[in-house]
Amino acid sequence: MSLVVQVIVTGLAAGGVYGLVAVGHSLIYRLTGIVYFAFGDLVAFAVFATLLVAAGTAPVSRTSLAPGRFLLALVIGLVFCSAVGAATYVLFIEPYLLRGSTLGWVASTLAIAFALRGMMGATFTRPAYVFPDPLPFDELGRDGVVSLAGASIQVRSFFVIGLAAALAALAAWTLERTRYGRALQAIASDVEGARFVGLPVEALVALTFALVGALAALAAVVAAPSAPFSVETGTLLGLKGLVAAMIVRFGSPWAAFAAGLGVGLAEAAIDNLRIGDFGLGAQYGEILPLAFALALIAYRSLRAEPSAERA
Amino acid sequence: MTGAVLEQTHGALTAGFREARAAWSLRATIAAAIVAAALLAPAVLPLSGRMPDIAAFVYLAVAAVGLAYAVGLAGIPSLGQGAFLGIGAFAEAIARAKGGWPLLPALLLGIGAAAAAGMLTGLATGRLRSAFVAVSTWILTWIVGLTLISFPGISGGAQGLVLPEAEVLGHPLGATAHYELGVALLVLVIVGYLIVAPRAPGLALAAARERSSAAVALGVPVARFRLGAFTTSAAIAGLAGALGVELAQVADPSGYDATLSFKLFVAVILGGARTPLGPVAGLLVISAFSHAAERVGALRGLPPGRLEEMLTGYGLLLVLGLGGAGLLPAVLASWRRFHRAPTRERPSAPGETLPKVEHPAPLTTRRLSKNFGSLVALAELDLELSPGSVHALIGPNGSGKTTALKLVVGDLRPDRGSVAVGGQALDDLTTRGRALEGIVGTQQTTEVFADLTVLESVLVGAGLRRSHAGIFRTLFATPKARRGAAAVRRKALSAIQFVGLEGELDRPSSELSAHEQRLLMLASGLATEPRVLLLDEPAAGAGPAELEHLADLLDRLRQKGLGLLVIEHNLRFVRRIADRVSVLEAGRLIASGSLAEVASDPAVRTAYLGRQRL
Repeated sequence: MSLVVQVIVTGLAAGGVYGLVAVGHSLIYRLTGIVYFAFGDLVAFAVFATLLVAAGTAPVSRTSLAPGRFLLALVIGLVFCSAVGAATYVLFIEPYLLRGSTLGWVASTLAIAFALRGMMGATFTRPAYVFPDPLPFDELGRDGVVSLAGASIQVRSFFVIGLAAALAALAAWTLERTRYGRALQAIASDVEGARFVGLPVEALVALTFALVGALAALAAVVAAPSAPFSVETGTLLGLKGLVAAMIVRFGSPWAAFAAGLGVGLAEAAIDNLRIGDFGLGAQYGEILPLAFALALIAYRSLRAEPSAERA
Repeated sequence: MTGAVLEQTHGALTAGFREARAAWSLRATIAAAIVAAALLAPAVLPLSGRMPDIAAFVYLAVAAVGLAYAVGLAGIPSLGQGAFLGIGAFAEAIARAKGGWPLLPALLLGIGAAAAAGMLTGLATGRLRSAFVAVSTWILTWIVGLTLISFPGISGGAQGLVLPEAEVLGHPLGATAHYELGVALLVLVIVGYLIVAPRAPGLALAAARERSSAAVALGVPVARFRLGAFTTSAAIAGLAGALGVELAQVADPSGYDATLSFKLFVAVILGGARTPLGPVAGLLVISAFSHAAERVGALRGLPPGRLEEMLTGYGLLLVLGLGGAGLLPAVLASWRRFHRAPTRERPSAPGETLPKVEHPAPLTTRRLSKNFGSLVALAELDLELSPGSVHALIGPNGSGKTTALKLVVGDLRPDRGSVAVGGQALDDLTTRGRALEGIVGTQQTTEVFADLTVLESVLVGAGLRRSHAGIFRTLFATPKARRGAAAVRRKALSAIQFVGLEGELDRPSSELSAHEQRLLMLASGLATEPRVLLLDEPAAGAGPAELEHLADLLDRLRQKGLGLLVIEHNLRFVRRIADRVSVLEAGRLIASGSLAEVASDPAVRTAYLGRQRL
């Protein structure tokens, strides 16, 4: 029982971040028809930029951080992430959209991903980093850990879940209720029509690249202290978010967020749960959701009408 | 008897030899010299210490050229080449290290495993739009990479799997032998690409790459060709991976991660996917990055792997920013600008004329119906198109005209009803099957295959009924394959001459005027030797003189016994060409007959022609 509670809370906390990445993937796909392979690395970029400003590249101890400095670092990290997201769209993605070249944007988004990965890896040379905690969670409970139904749970996990849900709600609200959101919906349903009625399509899409990056990055920064963070973690974050978005066919923010939570829960359950003597173990946690997504894509592809060449 | 066979063989050999002499050029001499130099290099140059690295590079180059079969020939954005390499490598390593298999069966297992994985992936993603093919292959890459790292039971854990030394005829297979083998394989895959690209399978793939739906409409088995290209690409990766672990004598589970797939993809894009030497050039550039990264890394104490990723990423972004065709094509293009070769004079098309339709037959539809959700797109359509006549299908936008056309050519499946030609039902046939029965539709007629020339575009259509055009006959240019190719070429030339484009044979079809493009797609359709041709708005956007030219061509086709079903908005054009007119409104046939009869029908007048004078 205690294990189940632990799995649910840690799964939801990880899944909340995946969910926000999935929200970003869905929005970008619906606006442009592309899959942004560099998304996870962009989020990791924000996380590492925050770390760099807050604590440098040296090992950090958990309590060595002043909240003011962290806030500044967070703002700088998010601004950098937004700027890079928007700039890469304008410079390297949009030209290929205009030419209708899939190979072009696949190549450029991957190139962005690996350029970011390489840059981060060359600056932060240790295999993984432990992040300082911005908020004084360690003053709650016993050193930031509370017992719930017999399980020891980091207080931060609840905060991450709450924040992620709030950000997803913000994204959904923005899309439904603001002029900017309605403009995005217009672009998603008919780009030419949107351009025809005078919407600045390129600028709006660039802005969206900036915002979805910052949205996911904010949650990732808050969640980062829960586990060691590496360059690879960022790439996998992007991949898991993508898998979640694909499961719900790049649907609404809520659907994508829910799918992200599902992926997080599945991962935590596969990692930790045992039924009698049978348990899969941690090595399956990352692979099985990916394999499930691949099988789902294949199933949908084979069920499609012969002439319909789409997903 | 034996004498005759010997004589035939002798004749074929001398003819082949003569042709080879004629085809041999300066370029071939240079290529042969380079290959010979590459093969002799280990004997001459003091390379023995670096031989294993060089041989490993050559095997990687084989995999990269293999990837060009998928990315360049077929336009499939495959991000899974590293995974197929890893599957080949570990199939080999497990068979050799754990199963104790000898070298050759293990190699075959490696190729087979990678090919099977490629074929499964290809089948599973064959109908997806290419964005999702990229995603699926990327997910596959991660699954394979993570599996190898997380399951020591399969991959031997941190030490990897150590292979016994391979022996061929009692001699150990050293690094130099691997290098020679690698160069030979590299030459084979490059030559294979060069042979396939300009011939029937390559042209079909190029057409499908540009306009998949238009290629399908001409009866090209697009899915089969794509699957073939993808499987071949994976099989080549499997071979390279298997030989790579034989060379290293150890299979390292961390060596087949996403970075490897990325590197191979970059090599292809960086060097240029449409030429088989491009990937090799791209890989050379990446290895230069890798050396630079090692130097800088050693100097500054930074991890060289990450630096290499960064440089590769930047390098690719730079090439993409410069236009994205790849380094090698860019170099070749600027070379050609300075050394403009005189364009070879092609003899203009001989006086071949388009033959009459051999087995003319009427096309009939009975109660043909299709709904999309609750929308009735077409309800109970009965049509009759007799040979040697032009039947125009008119009606307002959204009245079901294009749906009807798609149902007839098999692009859509009807909910009810049937289509038959000459009394033979077509309902179970695919688009290709119907094309073989002589029912061919052309798409919106200005959709050309941008990468192909005029002659090549029409060859795609003319290839429909060709036999002996399989991949092996094409690769080895068997006499039957060459006779078939010559016949197809004659067919294509006569179709081109019929529409009057014989002066433009070698022009890229993207450079043609809109009217010429219209004629080109008509010629591609005619080259399939149809009995019934369906045209979707052939006159859209045409000027008066062009309309007259087109009408004249359709008249002559009618005289040859062809049945023509034409969707058209331009009523002046309809009056000029149509023997019979059918009017659709909201998916229902509301009138059918001569234009005069239809025009006087009150239902038609109110529904459609009310404000338009005939």
